[in-house]
Amino acid sequence: MRRGAVRFVGMGMAAATLVALAGCSGGGSGDEAGGDVTLEFAQWWEPELPDGALRGLMDQFEEENPGIKVELLSGPYASTKEQLFAGAAAGTMSDVVGLDGAWVNDFSQQGAIADLTKLMADYDYDDSQLASQIQVDGSTYMIPVVNFVYPLFTNDDLLSEAGVAAPPTDRSEFASAAKAITDSTDAAGWALPLSLESPSVIQNNVMSWVWSSGGSMLDDGKPDVDNADVADLVDYIQGLYDDGVVAPGAFTMKEQDMVEEFTNGRVGMMVDSLAHINLIRETNPDLNFSISAIPAVDGYTGERGIPYASWGIGVAESSEHQEEAFKLVEFLMSEDVNAELSTVANAFPGNKNSTPDFEGKDELFSKAFEIYQAGYPANEFTGLPVAEELMRQFDEQFQALLEGNQSTEEMLSKVQDSWSAEF
Amino acid sequence: MSITSKGPRRDASRGGAPTPQTTESQTGASLPVFVNKTPNRARWNDAKKKGEPFAFLAPVIVLIGVLMVLPIGIVIGYSLFDNVITNKNPELVGVDNYIEVLTNPTFIAATGNTLVFTGASVVAHLVLGLAFAMLLNTNLLGRFSKAIFRTIFVLPWLFTVAIIAVLWRLLLNPSGVVNFLLSGVGLADQGTEWLSSPELALATVTFINIWAGYPFFMISLLAGLQGIPGELYEAATVDGASWWQRFISVTIPQLRPIIISMLLLDLIWTSQQFALIWLTTGGGPINVTEMLSTFTYKLAFSRYEFALASTSAVIILALSGILAFFYVRHQRARD
Amino acid sequence: MTIAKTPPAVMATNEARPLAIRNSPREKKRRWLRVGAVLLLILGAAFAGGPILWMLSSSFKSNTEIFEYPPRLLTENFSLDAYFSILNDPTKVRFFINSYVVSIAVTLLTLFIAILASYAFSRFEFKGKRIINVVIVSVQAVPPITLLIPYFGLVVGFGLYNTYPGLILTYMVFTLPYAIIMMTGYFNTLPRELDEAVRVDGAGSWTALWRILVPIATPGIVSVGIYTFMIAWNEYLFALTLTRTEDMRTVPIGIQLLMGQHSYEWNEMMAMSILGSIPVVLLFLFFQRYFLGGLVSGSVKS
Repeated sequence: MRRGAVRFVGMGMAAATLVALAGCSGGGSGDEAGGDVTLEFAQWWEPELPDGALRGLMDQFEEENPGIKVELLSGPYASTKEQLFAGAAAGTMSDVVGLDGAWVNDFSQQGAIADLTKLMADYDYDDSQLASQIQVDGSTYMIPVVNFVYPLFTNDDLLSEAGVAAPPTDRSEFASAAKAITDSTDAAGWALPLSLESPSVIQNNVMSWVWSSGGSMLDDGKPDVDNADVADLVDYIQGLYDDGVVAPGAFTMKEQDMVEEFTNGRVGMMVDSLAHINLIRETNPDLNFSISAIPAVDGYTGERGIPYASWGIGVAESSEHQEEAFKLVEFLMSEDVNAELSTVANAFPGNKNSTPDFEGKDELFSKAFEIYQAGYPANEFTGLPVAEELMRQFDEQFQALLEGNQSTEEMLSKVQDSWSAEF
Repeated sequence: MSITSKGPRRDASRGGAPTPQTTESQTGASLPVFVNKTPNRARWNDAKKKGEPFAFLAPVIVLIGVLMVLPIGIVIGYSLFDNVITNKNPELVGVDNYIEVLTNPTFIAATGNTLVFTGASVVAHLVLGLAFAMLLNTNLLGRFSKAIFRTIFVLPWLFTVAIIAVLWRLLLNPSGVVNFLLSGVGLADQGTEWLSSPELALATVTFINIWAGYPFFMISLLAGLQGIPGELYEAATVDGASWWQRFISVTIPQLRPIIISMLLLDLIWTSQQFALIWLTTGGGPINVTEMLSTFTYKLAFSRYEFALASTSAVIILALSGILAFFYVRHQRARD
Repeated sequence: MTIAKTPPAVMATNEARPLAIRNSPREKKRRWLRVGAVLLLILGAAFAGGPILWMLSSSFKSNTEIFEYPPRLLTENFSLDAYFSILNDPTKVRFFINSYVVSIAVTLLTLFIAILASYAFSRFEFKGKRIINVVIVSVQAVPPITLLIPYFGLVVGFGLYNTYPGLILTYMVFTLPYAIIMMTGYFNTLPRELDEAVRVDGAGSWTALWRILVPIATPGIVSVGIYTFMIAWNEYLFALTLTRTEDMRTVPIGIQLLMGQHSYEWNEMMAMSILGSIPVVLLFLFFQRYFLGGLVSGSVKS
């Protein structure tokens, strides 16, 4: 029996070593085969899209560009940034990379991503068709491929149960609607996610209210977070919070949690990505909801900024195939392909001339497209240095404010100081 | 009390060795066998004897040396520059980074939180692990029911941290099952914010960590209990020792080497627990669950200050180096 | 706590006791102890298993039902869809295979190397013992996230990026310190006379280690092995960084891939975790006999 145990371990060792050695040859390499160029395209989009959708587009690209193959490297969104960063440091960054606007400044500082302005000039690309470009120091480093806008979602059944006739359009209406829902239904009025793990909630759910009223948190590209517009908003949200209309668990709530609360009819209103419409419909077909622009300050009549998040694209500085990589960027930004991609992603196109196909789509998408076209896309965090850290600093101080540990003035001057230190 | 061991005792000669009551398994290494050999053979034997432990250690030394000591060396190097990776030509700044990190109020708060979190977790892990191990080691239950209970008790161990975090977020959601059950019996309010209230968050993440970590102690102690020679208990019982006396004078001393090893490991592991905290609270609300690990992570991947992150890592390394030193001294004291 | 009153050795004497004593007051007390033990165990099982039960129940629900209030353990839409969708997806099945290959290899190699090293630490005095020990203990204290970048560079440099050996060697670096520390602890609990007896017979340390110590320390080795397996099975950060293509990725990454940018596949995440844990539960059940005692006390007596 004892000897048996020893032999067992020994045999296992041998087997393990064999398996390990066999594995050596298993890992494929992304290099040329038969003169072809293989582009690596690292992104988190593939798992987010319907099965095979992105691969299908890549097949089309390969067909149109003989001699170029695309290998899709997909990872979880939450870890994409670290992986790109480590890859860049080790010189193994993929040729084409999916980017978030919040990372662009840092990757360009690191020298990881290529100057697209230069590439566009080199390859005679007409950038007038691009809806937006994310620039650092005047050069483009990321092109938003598709944009996810963040309108206000309202649960219409809860609204009418609370005696509110239509979705709120300004802050007073919103506050009273939220109060009415909280008081006269089982649900909370508003879901405000503030998780410090993914602080982009600050851009989408908090600062978006400033932009929707034409306000800004910057002055000439520098932090100006203690201005009156932001202070008004902070006071306003604190009022809502103190009124008890914000759903419990706000300080650790993430966007994904908020959607589940809304889908289950536990909150009446939220500011959320359009990408969620299908999910909400699928999981709760009976939910009666609509979307509208984020409420502005009372009496505001100007154009409203619509917050958005993008799937952006960039090219690795270290890529040996920048020309081919740029071809892929061009392909994804071309009118038809961009329209197709935004259709499957439930997003709006990054090419001005593309129109997403609303055929067979939820009518809310065309409604949202109207809202989108009536306003302007606004996201002041994209392209800022350590954008995520800026949001996190704001978030932390904001939580302390809501807890009653400091005043609006104290909070904003602290944020202003710490932001200024990062620029 | 002194247990078994017919081997020569050396404790007395180890001036002031603090552990005379433990087993003597470490004593009596000198081998009388070699005494009468010819001088040549003896010298060869001597060399062989000196080399022998290194032969046993060679694979570890190579692996750890290349794959761990080297990267750590690089990290220590990073900590001496103004900023690395994002900065193409970093400048040597000496200990500036250390001063910056050590005087950072968040770092100090994070150290405090880490101490609370780690201390409470480790103590609870040991107590729960030992209690469950002893319960499962009694002869009061049949083999089958023991097997079932053992399996249930190790369950928290089988899941990756990400899923543990997600699971507990679900359970502890203000409208989740925990609040449902507790408010049903009047122990908590419906809507209690376990993770998002600044008063509760640290205790809650500590609780989750306790839940996720005690099986390590339980399993290791269960294995350790099997190694206690039965005659020790027999002898103690014959001497009229009560259950508690046997526990204190037989069980604990016999398990001591394992317990010490586990405490050391658990201290080090818990103090760098990152994923669980990051995925449940992100270090919030405000900064009440900010730990050294989340602090370091944010330096690296939120602020891209790799030099400062490395500095923080080196400080943590130094702290556990002190732990390791005491551990090794303890080991030696037992020799 | 008085339940643990009867250690294993006393058990043997109990069996041997004359029938007449069985209904004595002592026996009655024993019965009460038994009830108390079972109650405590059930309480403990609720603490340990309750959340897992909820995970299991969530894996059978639809994503809406997971969030419904009041929560229910079983719903009318009980379905195994989440499991089928994982098992029907060759990519995800591949994640499982990768995890097995890597974890099994890591466990066996770690045990082998750690047994050798622990033997040296437990039975020899030599120059540098302390420093080697300190290094082995403290290297695990560096937050892995800061090691990520230099380590990644190293692995790429060695050509181990996106290979099994890359992952296996990496995990061994993380599991070895643990395994060595624990195993040294176990070896230290074993009396020295055991291996000395063999060496007096003329056999070398190698024989003493494998013929005497290892078989006696089997419970400890098995427990270290199981834990090593768990560490390798559940590791996420390096698994993600050191692999590139889907055919090399492991289960924790598969689970994380279900946590999307905008929404989570709650039920599939739960199902994948459950699926991942079943083999480990089986493994544990199989190796339980090594925990059941008898082995060690037997050999010490002889």
